[in-house]
Amino acid sequence: MRSSLILVLGLCALALSPTFAAGHTVTVNTVQIFGTIDPAKISDYTDYMASANLYDGLANVDPDGNLVPELAEKWDVSPDATSVTFHIRPDAKFQDGSPVEAEDVVYSVERLLKINQGPANLFAGVLKPGSVEAIDPKTVKFTLLKTFSPFLATVPAIRIVNSKIVKANAGADDGQTYLSTHVAGAGPYTLKSWDRGSQMTIERDPNYYRGWGEGPIDEVRFIITNDEATVRSMAASGELTMSSQYQSPDTYDALSKMPRFKIVTGVTPVAFYLKFNSKVAPTDDVHIRKAIALATDYDTIHNTIIPGGELTGPLPKTFAGAYLPTPAPKFDLEAAKAEIAKSGYAGKTDIPLSLTYVSSAKFEEELALLMQSNLEQIGFKVTLSGEPWNRVTEIATKVETTPNVTEVFFGPTYPSPDSMFYAQYDSKSAGTWASMEWLQNPEIDKMIDAARATGDAAAQAKIYKDLQQTLIDQQTDAFLETQVVRHAMDKCLDGYVPVPMQSFDYAFHKYKWTCS
Amino acid sequence: MEFFYFLIRRVFWSLLVLFGLSIVIFVIARVMPGDPARMAMGPRASQEQVADLKAKMGLDKPILAQYGQFAVGLLHGDLGLSFLTKRPVNHDIAETFAATFELVLATILVAFVVGVPLGVVAAANKDGWVDNLVRFFAILGAATPSFLLALLLQVLAGYVLHALPTTGRVSPDSPFTADITGLLTLDTLLRGNLGGLSDALRHLLLPTLALSAATIGQIARITRSSMIDVSTQDYIEAVRAFGVPDRVRMFKYMLRPAFVPPMTIMGLEFASLLGNAFVVELVFSWPGMASYGVRSILQKDLNAVMGVVMISGVFFVVINLMIDVLVGFIDPRVRIRGARA
Amino acid sequence: MSASVSAASVRISIAYQNWHRFSRNPTALIGAAIVTIVVLAALLAPWIAPHPDHVGAIVNFRVRHQPPSAQYWFGTDNVGRDIFSRVLFGYRISLLLAAVVLGFAVPVGATLGLLAGYFGGWMEILIMRLTDVALAIPPLVMALAVTAVLTPNLLHAMFAIAALWWTWHTRLIFSITRTLRHQEFVEAARTLGASRFHILFRELLPNCASAILVKVSLDFGFVILIGAALSYLGLGVQPPTPDLGTMVANGADFLPDRWWESLLPGAAILFVALGFNLLGDGLRDLYDVESVR
Repeated sequence: MRSSLILVLGLCALALSPTFAAGHTVTVNTVQIFGTIDPAKISDYTDYMASANLYDGLANVDPDGNLVPELAEKWDVSPDATSVTFHIRPDAKFQDGSPVEAEDVVYSVERLLKINQGPANLFAGVLKPGSVEAIDPKTVKFTLLKTFSPFLATVPAIRIVNSKIVKANAGADDGQTYLSTHVAGAGPYTLKSWDRGSQMTIERDPNYYRGWGEGPIDEVRFIITNDEATVRSMAASGELTMSSQYQSPDTYDALSKMPRFKIVTGVTPVAFYLKFNSKVAPTDDVHIRKAIALATDYDTIHNTIIPGGELTGPLPKTFAGAYLPTPAPKFDLEAAKAEIAKSGYAGKTDIPLSLTYVSSAKFEEELALLMQSNLEQIGFKVTLSGEPWNRVTEIATKVETTPNVTEVFFGPTYPSPDSMFYAQYDSKSAGTWASMEWLQNPEIDKMIDAARATGDAAAQAKIYKDLQQTLIDQQTDAFLETQVVRHAMDKCLDGYVPVPMQSFDYAFHKYKWTCS
Repeated sequence: MEFFYFLIRRVFWSLLVLFGLSIVIFVIARVMPGDPARMAMGPRASQEQVADLKAKMGLDKPILAQYGQFAVGLLHGDLGLSFLTKRPVNHDIAETFAATFELVLATILVAFVVGVPLGVVAAANKDGWVDNLVRFFAILGAATPSFLLALLLQVLAGYVLHALPTTGRVSPDSPFTADITGLLTLDTLLRGNLGGLSDALRHLLLPTLALSAATIGQIARITRSSMIDVSTQDYIEAVRAFGVPDRVRMFKYMLRPAFVPPMTIMGLEFASLLGNAFVVELVFSWPGMASYGVRSILQKDLNAVMGVVMISGVFFVVINLMIDVLVGFIDPRVRIRGARA
Repeated sequence: MSASVSAASVRISIAYQNWHRFSRNPTALIGAAIVTIVVLAALLAPWIAPHPDHVGAIVNFRVRHQPPSAQYWFGTDNVGRDIFSRVLFGYRISLLLAAVVLGFAVPVGATLGLLAGYFGGWMEILIMRLTDVALAIPPLVMALAVTAVLTPNLLHAMFAIAALWWTWHTRLIFSITRTLRHQEFVEAARTLGASRFHILFRELLPNCASAILVKVSLDFGFVILIGAALSYLGLGVQPPTPDLGTMVANGADFLPDRWWESLLPGAAILFVALGFNLLGDGLRDLYDVESVR
């Protein structure tokens, strides 16, 4: 049965190949360069965008955050949740045609842990060399160092490399040199050309083991530009098929007026926060934090500066099971003044406050200016600084250099509430940009650990809800909104659905061309 | 023989300048606060990962050892790893340098082809309206911010006239690559690919215009004053007395020596030309070393910054060496007293 | 007594002659007029700007992106601030930047040039080779690199530019001094036992004054342009303080429909740079120092 299916697919591929040249090409702009395509080094949004197309993992994520089969057709979790056995699809094969086997998975994980960059931090204290073993060529077993309930959610971050090719090109650095420019994976697309500063082009692998639906995208060109004028002129000339999600409102306006484009929106679980540094004055005072949150003009932010979805606490609604419903925050300058009066700064004027934002994003500066203008009305003296993103990650490493207020987007890196809580509020995450609150609160750490150590969903949800209430009471952040992603897309292109993990929503295998 | 000694001397001084430059760059780079390894690893890395990489990169060694590493690397053309692209900086620069070189070369070419005749005409009509016009445009060119001119050209050509591509070096669907010399215009020409050539030239036009405006004016003014200078020299009078025709006198006896000052100026101005290229490349998304440089500077990519500054310096020194040799060739007096004041 | 009177009258008559020649030089006059306007605008900005509060912590999203009108001469920006008022204040930063850079570069550069030109020998070799090194680095690139090393702001950019800019003055003064050092008045001073300090700064320096003046005027334009380019590239001053290059960069995202947000601040930069260039060019004619660029 299965072999006949393969035969049919193969025939389809053959039948398709004559029309291949006239296939559908999608040109999409991305705002930053692809740092790396090496699965052991990928770290940011753009890296994962390439990886989602070039490599496959054992499992993937669906829009609701559930794990779905990819290279593995199924998996068994041991009763104590400390080991997971994956069964690899019999037909799973790499782009060079060789089968994907357990030893490839073992090699991919060992390589990841050895290089110790990129996704490796997800597995620190969970996996060590030797934790993964091949039972037989199609069965691989992960033995965890401890019970870690979010483990399965992190599995898609392990991109499987072709161990034969990489070993043959290992050199002295485990193939880091080779994999920095070559792809040795099982993904649906192959690398066609890559000019680091300007573009990357990937090409459909017609023999992809999971097959293709109707109207597949044959070629994807990522054009790297963050210049609005360029994007608009590329759209006008017919070159652009899909915009990045980071264009200015004006660009979306301009593109929506062009008959070829539709604007596709999707509410993501990426939350937009004003992170308050709880360890330096004046934001070490909870009343000051509450005052700033009350002096935030949520309506202007939603309606004018950057439209977004509702966010009422630290966790976005996407994680329905763990989400605690709370009333939406309000803009109320009088109440803000009342909070200052309750604080240690009662009666003071010109309370110094530093606010940092990412300088490359225009709306972040607009928000910063809005905050400054409101806060200075109620007695603060606000110092703004716009910094490049790298600089933000650098000042986040020390409590003294972390500003009182920082505008930060944070989304789950794996589809579990744990990703939101651990990376932002756990003591072990202190010193990272996601954790600029510097909570370092043992009670909160205890709750996060307790949730990790239980396999019982109901008990876990209860812990997460208590945790949300604690964070809201402490006003650790101002909770602005969830990010609404907008893309201007050719009306013939379909398939964008937000996925709560990295940039997995740009896996073009899921997209299709609806026009003939 | 005397030319040979002149050459040796110039090369020696050039090497000395480069040595000085390497010290300056090292000093700048090592006062950089912050944590390059943290930046290299990306924002989501753990502290252990960062420390691990630090050791691998030798960033935990004492300054002197790091200097040794830097100097030895430099001699081997090794500029270290870029934190941003996670590749050797010399690869990155090699990839982007050709684009910058092409733009700068085109700019110099345009500056001379337009500037020198303008200067000659201005000198021939000293204090006439042409002269005044040339003078005004020279001043205007020098006073116009390069990014403003670039933006204006982009708006004009891209939106108002819809005539020329406003970004990049080739059309995105273009199959042409610069695979011989790295210069797209030259390679397409060598391959006899006229479609590719026209595409490359269309992309090159606006950035070149934006970049050359200031230089054209400078060249025109210098040519003008050196033509006037030369025309009052005794030997020109002697040439005239011998009955050499006007045209020959103009080109052989005047233009040749008058060519020297514009060339020396070009050499000196080269640094500021390269500086402006940083801005112009960014506006036109020109995939050159300058865009790479600005990006790495804004993102604090330590090795890339050092590499770009170093290569800019080397570029400057080499261009000036070439100009000096050329000038020495045109004007024999230079070989004896040295090319410069 | 009578000698000093006549010296004074000679000085007056020279001044008068200079003014006479200056007033007949349209380039210099227009340049001087522009420079005067800009300097006055910068100094008087708090009183003459139509919306002086728009340089501070203020946003007004209801009137964002307004085109130029009687109320907003240069239109408004993306948070509804009056661009014209911000341009006037922006001139303060530009002029300050140039003044600080040249305030460092000119004295240092001139002194080194005098030393190299007058003493020659190893002093000349040392100083002039140093200028060769400094000359090989584009000031803009140096400023970018240094600001990348430190925190990216305009103050650090100023240090970086100043650290290279002296070379031009050194080379200029060096070439003049070298031709002067064996002239009679220098020899005479030396024979009379004048100190080296006296010869350098009382005999040689005054003879370089006109060249320095021309160079400084031209440099004001160049440094303002470099400063603008740096802030255009993202190394501006802290918001909401207005800065011309940053305004152009901000507005460029709204081209071509909202052209005023970038092109008018850009034109303001062109205006001031043009003023200093015209003035310098005119002065060059006036003092007949063709070699100064």
